[in-house]
Formats: sequence, C-alpha cells, structure tokens
Amino acid sequence: MSTISRIAREEWRLWLRSKVVVAAAVIVTVLLATTSILTINRVAEEQSQRLEQQVAAEKTFFAQPDRHPHRMVHYGHYAFRPPPPLAMFEPGVDAVTGQSIFLEGHRQNTAMFADTKAAADLGGFAALTPASLYQILLPLLLIVLGHALFLRERESGTLAVMLAQGQSGTKLALGKALALLSVIAIFMIPLIAVAAYSMSLGESGLAALSLVSGYFVYLCAWGAIVLAASVILKQRSVSLGVLIFAWLFAALIVPRLAINASSAAIDAPGKIESDLVMLAEQRKLGDGHNAADPAFQRLQAEVLEQYGADTIEELPINWRGVVASYSEAELTKLLNGYAENRMNLEASQSRIFDLFGLASPTIAISSASRTLAGTDLATHHRFLRESETLRFNFVQSLNEIHANELDYETDINRNNDAASSQRAQVNSEAWQVLDEFRFGPDPANARVSRASLSLGVLVGWLLIAIGVIFMAARRVRL
Amino acid sequence: MMLGNLTREIRFLARDRGALFWLALALILSVVAVSFGVAEVRDQRDTIATLVEEDAADRANALEGQEEWGSAAYYAFHLTYAPPSEFAFAAMGQRDSSPWKHRVRMLALEGQIHEADTKNADFGLVGRFDFAFLAASVAPLLLILLLYDLRASERTARRHDLLVATAGASWQLWFPRAFVRMIMLTLLLLLPLWIGALMEGTALSAIGQASFVLVGALLIWWLIVELVSRINASPSILLTSLIGLWLALAIVVPALSKAAIEANNPVPDGGEILLLQRETVNDAWDLPKEATMTPFVEEYPEWREYATIEGPWAWKWYYAFQQVGDQTVAPLVGQYRQARLSRDRQAGLLALLSPTSFVERAFEKLAGTDAAAMIAYEDAVRDFHAELRAFHYPMLIKEEPFDPNVLQRLPAYVPSATGD
Repeated sequence: MSTISRIAREEWRLWLRSKVVVAAAVIVTVLLATTSILTINRVAEEQSQRLEQQVAAEKTFFAQPDRHPHRMVHYGHYAFRPPPPLAMFEPGVDAVTGQSIFLEGHRQNTAMFADTKAAADLGGFAALTPASLYQILLPLLLIVLGHALFLRERESGTLAVMLAQGQSGTKLALGKALALLSVIAIFMIPLIAVAAYSMSLGESGLAALSLVSGYFVYLCAWGAIVLAASVILKQRSVSLGVLIFAWLFAALIVPRLAINASSAAIDAPGKIESDLVMLAEQRKLGDGHNAADPAFQRLQAEVLEQYGADTIEELPINWRGVVASYSEAELTKLLNGYAENRMNLEASQSRIFDLFGLASPTIAISSASRTLAGTDLATHHRFLRESETLRFNFVQSLNEIHANELDYETDINRNNDAASSQRAQVNSEAWQVLDEFRFGPDPANARVSRASLSLGVLVGWLLIAIGVIFMAARRVRL
Repeated sequence: MMLGNLTREIRFLARDRGALFWLALALILSVVAVSFGVAEVRDQRDTIATLVEEDAADRANALEGQEEWGSAAYYAFHLTYAPPSEFAFAAMGQRDSSPWKHRVRMLALEGQIHEADTKNADFGLVGRFDFAFLAASVAPLLLILLLYDLRASERTARRHDLLVATAGASWQLWFPRAFVRMIMLTLLLLLPLWIGALMEGTALSAIGQASFVLVGALLIWWLIVELVSRINASPSILLTSLIGLWLALAIVVPALSKAAIEANNPVPDGGEILLLQRETVNDAWDLPKEATMTPFVEEYPEWREYATIEGPWAWKWYYAFQQVGDQTVAPLVGQYRQARLSRDRQAGLLALLSPTSFVERAFEKLAGTDAAAMIAYEDAVRDFHAELRAFHYPMLIKEEPFDPNVLQRLPAYVPSATGD
C-alpha cells in the first residue's frame, strides 16, 4: 500500500514542478470558478423573477373586474417555469426552449422568448456552463496531466529498475491511478459545493448525490482511459495524439453527429405542420363561438332530452356555455393527441441521441446531467403538459360558470346596447377558479431512474477502461 | 528547386501514417457534415412545400361560406417562412433555435410573431455537426495535430540539426513540409463542400468567399503553430500549449465576449412584451370605444371620418384594438429588436478576436442563417402583416358590402431571396 501511495506522491511532485501542468490547472480552476459564480447568479435571478411573474399573473387574473366569462377565457393566463436549483450547474435546454407560455381558450401556444433567440452569436462553445466545463474541459486537463503517467517511467528507464526490484506493473499502475484519482477528487470540490448549495435551496439529496457521483464516474472513466493509453503506448507524443483524438471524437464530434443522426432518423413534424393537419379535422368539430353550427345539432338534441326541454331557450342552463365547454373539450382532446405525438417523436429522437453514449461517455454524462438537474427535454415536455392542464382547467371552469351563472336570454342580447352588455357579466369573484401553478422538477427518484441508462453506460465505460488497464499493466515488460 | 522540394515532401507525407490518418479523418468528417447538411436542407424545403400547399387548402376552406370581412380575416391564416438558402447546408446556424416559419392572421401581430415552432430543443442545445462547425472548430485542431511536431519529431530523432544544415536555408526545409500538409488538409475539407455546392446550386461568390474564409483561418492557425513550434521543447509540451491556445481562442474568448456583450446590451424581458400587449387588447373591451379609435386614427388619419363606433360591437373596432395593442408595445418591441441587432453587431466585432467565432459567423452570414437573417425574416413577416392590414382596412372600416371575389386578391407571402 505504501508503495502505491509513494508512487502517487512522486507523481504529484513532478506535476507541481511542471509549468505546463500548473498553468493548465490554474486556468481550469479560474474558469470553473468564474463560470460557476456567473451561472449561479444568473439562475438565482431568473428563479426569483419567474416566481414573481407567476404570482403577479395570478394576482392580475384574480383582480379582473366583472365580465362576461368568455372574455376571461380569451383574457388568458401565463405559466412560467422557474429553473430548478441544480440548473445553476446545468442550465440544460432551458435557454433554448423559452420559459413562459401564454394560456388561452381554443389554443395551445408554444413557449416564447427563448434566451438563445436574443443571444450574441459567437459560435458553438460560447455558452459556457459549469456542466460543459466538467464535460469538455476537465477530460482535456486529465489528458494533459496523465498522457505520460506510466510511459514516462519507460522513457526514463526507471521502469526497468522498478520491475527488477520486484515491483509489478499492476502496482505501478495503481500508484499512478491513485495520483490521477486525487486530482479528480480535488476537481470534484466545486461541484460538491454547488450540489450542497442546491440542497440548501431545497434540492433533494438523492438528485444532488447522483449528479456528483455521475460526474465522478465520468471523470474516473476519462482518467482510466488516459492511464490505459499511457500503459499501452510507448511514446509520449503518440499517447498524447491518440488521447487528443479520443477527446476530439468523444467531446466535439460524436455529440453533434448524434444530433444529425437523430434528426435524420426521425422526422418530428413542427407545430405548424401538425396544426395544419389538425385544423382540417377541427373544422369538422365546428366552431365553439357559433352555437348554431350543424356539428352541434346532435349535442343539442341530447341536452334538450336530458333536461326535458323543447327549445334551448327553455333550458335551465345557458346553451352557449354548454357549447363552449363541449367544443373546448373536443378540441383539447384533438390538440393533445397531436401534441403528445409530437412530444413522443422528440422523445424518441432524444433516445437515439442517448444511445450514442455507447460511443462517447460525454454524451452519457450530458444526458444524465440534464436529467438529474431537471433541465432535460422530458422536463420541458412535462412543463408543456402541466401548463396545458392548467389551461384546460381554468377554461372549463369559466365555461361552467358561463353555462350555470349567466342567463341565455341575457347572453344572446349582450351586444344590443351598453346596458345589455353590462347585464351579461358575472361577478369577479368567479375568477378564483384559477389554480395556483408552481412548476418544479420531477421527484428525485423519477429523475434518477430516468438517468439510470446513461449512468449505467458511464459505469460500463469506467469498468471497460479499468479492465484494459489491468490487462495491459499485468503484461508490462520492458 | 521548390517543385523538387514539394514532390519530395509529398512522398514523405505518403509514408507518414499519423498524418494520413488525420487527413483521412478530415475528408470523412467533411463528407459527413456536407451530406447531413444537404439532407436537412432538402428536408426543410420539402416541409415548406407541403406547408404551402396545406396552408392554401386550409385558407380556402376557412374562407368558404364567410359572410363578413371581419370573420373572413379572423379565420384566414397565412403561412410565412424563410426557405433555406443554397448555402444553408454548410451552416444551419440559428435555424435550429429561431423559428423560420409562422402562420399569422389579422389579429395583433405581437401575440403571434414570438411563437417558436422550433425543432427538438436538444438540437438547439448541442448543435449540429455542420460544415461551419467542422471548419471553425475541428479543422484547426486537425491542422495542429498535423503540424505541431514537424520540427520536434526531427529533434527527437536527432536529425534536426543535420537536416537544417543540409537544407541550407531553414525555411526551405520546413515550409514545403508544412505547406504540403496545409494544402492537403484544405483540399480534403473543401472538396466535399464544393460538391455539395454543385448539388445545391450555390452561387459561385458564396462558395468562393467561404473557401477564402476557411483558407484564411487555417493560415492564421498555421502561423500560430509555426510560432509555437519554434520553441525548443518536447512534442508533447508543444501539443499541450497549442491545444491550450485552441481552447483560449475557441472557447474562452468567445465565452467572455458573449458574457460581456450580453451584460452590456440587456434585452427587454419577453414576458413583458407579451403581458403589455395582451393587457392592452383585453382592456379595450371594457374601455369606451374612443379609447381605441383615437390612437388608431392617430396612426391612420385617413379613416378619421369612419372612426365613430355605434353599438357595443363592430369588427372594425375589434381590429382597431388589435392594432392598438401592437402600437402600445411597439417601443418595447423596437428595443428588443435593437438589442438583438446591437448584440449581433458587437458579436461581429469581438469575433475578430477568435478565428473560430469568426469562421462560424462568416459561414452563417453567407448561408443566411445568422441572427441578422432571422431578424430580417421577422421584419418580412411584419411587412406582410402590414400588407394584410392595408388590404383589409378599407373594406372593414368603410364597412363595404362583403364580396368573396375580392378575397381572391389577398396578399400572398413571398419569401425574400436569402443568402444576401
């Protein structure tokens, strides 16, 4: 044991003497610190801002004056998605999707004002986050530190001496692994600090711990790959070249190729495209504003029979409200069918993307990281679904008020004169039907189970790399 | 003499397996980037063709049986879109994160134009492997890997001093060696791009400028490698330093520039634009009709004599408050647009500090997929919406008798030529 730690200590002594290594480590540390502070501040600001906006939107809704209930259906409401606590490490898709939706009757709107739309465009890597530094930059640092870890002994001739002294190649490799592991441990500190801070903001321990472990396994997998290369290869520059290629491939090329592939493999129609198909169907349903539409004849017969009435004027409820409620339900069913289809196609695209984790650990960690932080595509889809439920509920509650609390006669005569429209209003207390909406991330165990495939792939990478090290180290000769 | 040097270096290169690997990789990546790009662009064109057709059918359907100008305008949606340019295959740019298609109608435009019918959010987040990314970020790394150890490897092999002595002038030795690699890399990258351009019918000027930009950027990287590799250090230290420089120029400088630009040019909160516009439109229902018609007439003095509304409802009043809603948020929208433009302008300036940012932006500009092109598309949508209003207002406001034949002359959206 003491031999192993002595080998590791020796490695540290050499690193600290190398200007290149010290400079690289200092630069990475500074970058990590500044990016973390900037991201934490930005996300905290967005979080409080969105929460305020959500509360303000509810207040204004409740504060609306007496009105015709259908006016409130069109007045609408807003849903905001505040970033989850771990977004300060991994902002994920939030910047691309936009975080607010306008909710109104008869329509499902998209999330608007994505940050990327107004961002300064400086190319592919300009949007630095702490997560992307861990995913892309730290492996490179491990390569710089470790590409000659083992083969240095070979180059300087000390390997022969050590083997002759009866040290095994495995023991030597373990010592080198310990040195690299201690570097990884040190660079885990900022992430651990952010994770602990996120827990103080209400993030669950399980999610924070899984995120930390995921990155630890990821960096260890890279460390093991680096060590394996330095055991197998005999020349410093070859080892560095091979590792740089592996990094270039895994961190820069494969993730983007995976996007190309999933986009080419599955064609997910945009909203306009599926809307157009849907609109044709919607016309068959009739227009919710026009209660005399032939599509409502059947509904009319049913409702008349139910209340034993001969004409809609005789009904104890407001026929126009019944129609509004019926057509909103039918339309929503249709809209949801198309929306679900679109989201499912996008989810299958993301699954293809995740499969590329088998070719690049960087993909595996980035998927796991977004999922665990609650900033992945699936969470965005849940936001869309939940805000849709919010929309449907308040619209239908208003339609119910329309049917039950507003007289039909008064309603159809509302445009006669100012006094008539005054009469066709309901008391503003009715607006309390709106539900409070606070969007939060999935429960931690749901996130962890969703990330399990990617985390498993990462562990697989680590095990394979460790296996390679052991096989190569056992066969070390001169 | 020079020619002899070059043929000698080509033969030398043919035996350098490491170099051949990097060159082959460059060719493969370029072929992959270009073919995915061409496929995606064709896919988008197909989508647009389908949309145009279905949009026309839907509009015809919607207009059928309408009996009023107001309801005809209410139900008729109009497709607007920005088709990908002939060079978009090389740089998809903002098309993955900004919308390039909308369906708009005569209602308040600000409630419609910010809708984002974009693709899978993962695409916008990770980005595609397009030629622009290859040229801007990966090509410099390949060049570094090809050139960093020209001198150092000879030093390691202890031939360096001998070679320099026999070559006479030092540049006669290193220049042809590096030159051959540089030329090979450039050609292997550009060849698939040129073939893609032939398939897509890209304008010669665009493809010429793109090639020029790539060659220029690679020359700069060559210069950097050349200066660094004069340092008498081991190949691995040289490579580490060069990768460090790449990181600084490709990641750190763009990230700092972006952070600085965005901090200096705050954009108005999009939520506020939306909120204000909706409030204005909704409040109008409860306000006296003059509160809507007065600001409307200020914008359109020609309709002054028709601006009195009698009775609680009129289509012209309905469209007037839609218009007033847009007018109210116009200053905010102007700020939003200005902030985006000035961010983009400053990004263009600061991109001069980073060859990767510069190349990516230059390609996006040539491809018509940069921020400016996306804003230009939004402007075109605004112009078209204004045309729609100009078409409908006379009939709506003068309350002329409905004539479905007039609707045959509805303005049609014509996309502007892209790529310039």
